[in-house]
Amino acid sequence: MENVLYKPFFNATREVFQLMLDISNITDKPLCVDGVCYPAGNVDIAIRVIGDMEGMVVYHFPKETSLKIVKIMSGGMEFNEVDEFVASAMGEIANIISGNVMSALSTQDITCDILPPEFIAPETIADASAKYKFVSGMQICSEIGDIDLNILLNVKSGAEKA
Amino acid sequence: MLWKDKYNLGVEQIDAQHRELFRRVSDFLEVLRSSSSWEERVGKVNETLSFMKDYVITHFRDEEAYQIQIGYPEYDAHKQTHDDMVSYVAQFAAEYEQKGYDEKLIQQFAGKLLAWLIHHVAADDQKIGAYAKKKGV
Ligand SMILES: [Fe+2]
Ligand SMILES: [Fe+2]
Repeated sequence: MENVLYKPFFNATREVFQLMLDISNITDKPLCVDGVCYPAGNVDIAIRVIGDMEGMVVYHFPKETSLKIVKIMSGGMEFNEVDEFVASAMGEIANIISGNVMSALSTQDITCDILPPEFIAPETIADASAKYKFVSGMQICSEIGDIDLNILLNVKSGAEKA
Repeated sequence: MLWKDKYNLGVEQIDAQHRELFRRVSDFLEVLRSSSSWEERVGKVNETLSFMKDYVITHFRDEEAYQIQIGYPEYDAHKQTHDDMVSYVAQFAAEYEQKGYDEKLIQQFAGKLLAWLIHHVAADDQKIGAYAKKKGV
């Protein structure tokens, strides 16, 4: 199951970075979710997943990376703080990546839906990781910084075909 | 500069509308993100917001008509995506007005809108162009 999810999330992120930010060089490395502890002041977004798999995917965008992303998207405007604009733009990016993953999974007969992005306190990730069976993480490295994706999911009984 | 040439679909009418749409979004963002006080710029923000909003509706309608004209097979899903965005915009506009033009609310709206629009034009709309090219229309 872990591999079923890892690749689609990486591919979706790569595609979104390419399309929206014109960044084509990204690499990944596995991340250990257990005991992960992020400082406050960054952007941590949970996308809840319902359906054949249930749980959430948490995106961690460092402050500097978030500011660079909105600068690129806005055609060069300067952003100094993570305000409502910046957080909301990051939420939409997390939403787009996750939505693309859900469409990719649906071709493998895994049917899931996502809920609107929620902004969460970073400690929520460590607290939640114990509740889920499939826990995996990846760090996506690019010229504008590293983004962490923490995947925390349970597979609903009867749906465990992957 | 918000617009990028890679957003061109090769359908002149739609490309021209996209350029105009990005121009209006850009004007809106410029005022919204400027450093003067909220009281000073809220009038201009609201003006550029409604100018942009109107164009979103016009553009979606025309783009949908074009899809029907060429027999675009993903019309239903694309229209649904447009409709969802239109209802999000309407819901925001109602709340924004009701709360007496709250700055935080419109900043939140604008951040999502920008990301959504870039992705929609760079990904979803491109498929219309690709289909038109394939069919030779
Ligand atoms: Fe469009
Ligand atoms: Fe469209």
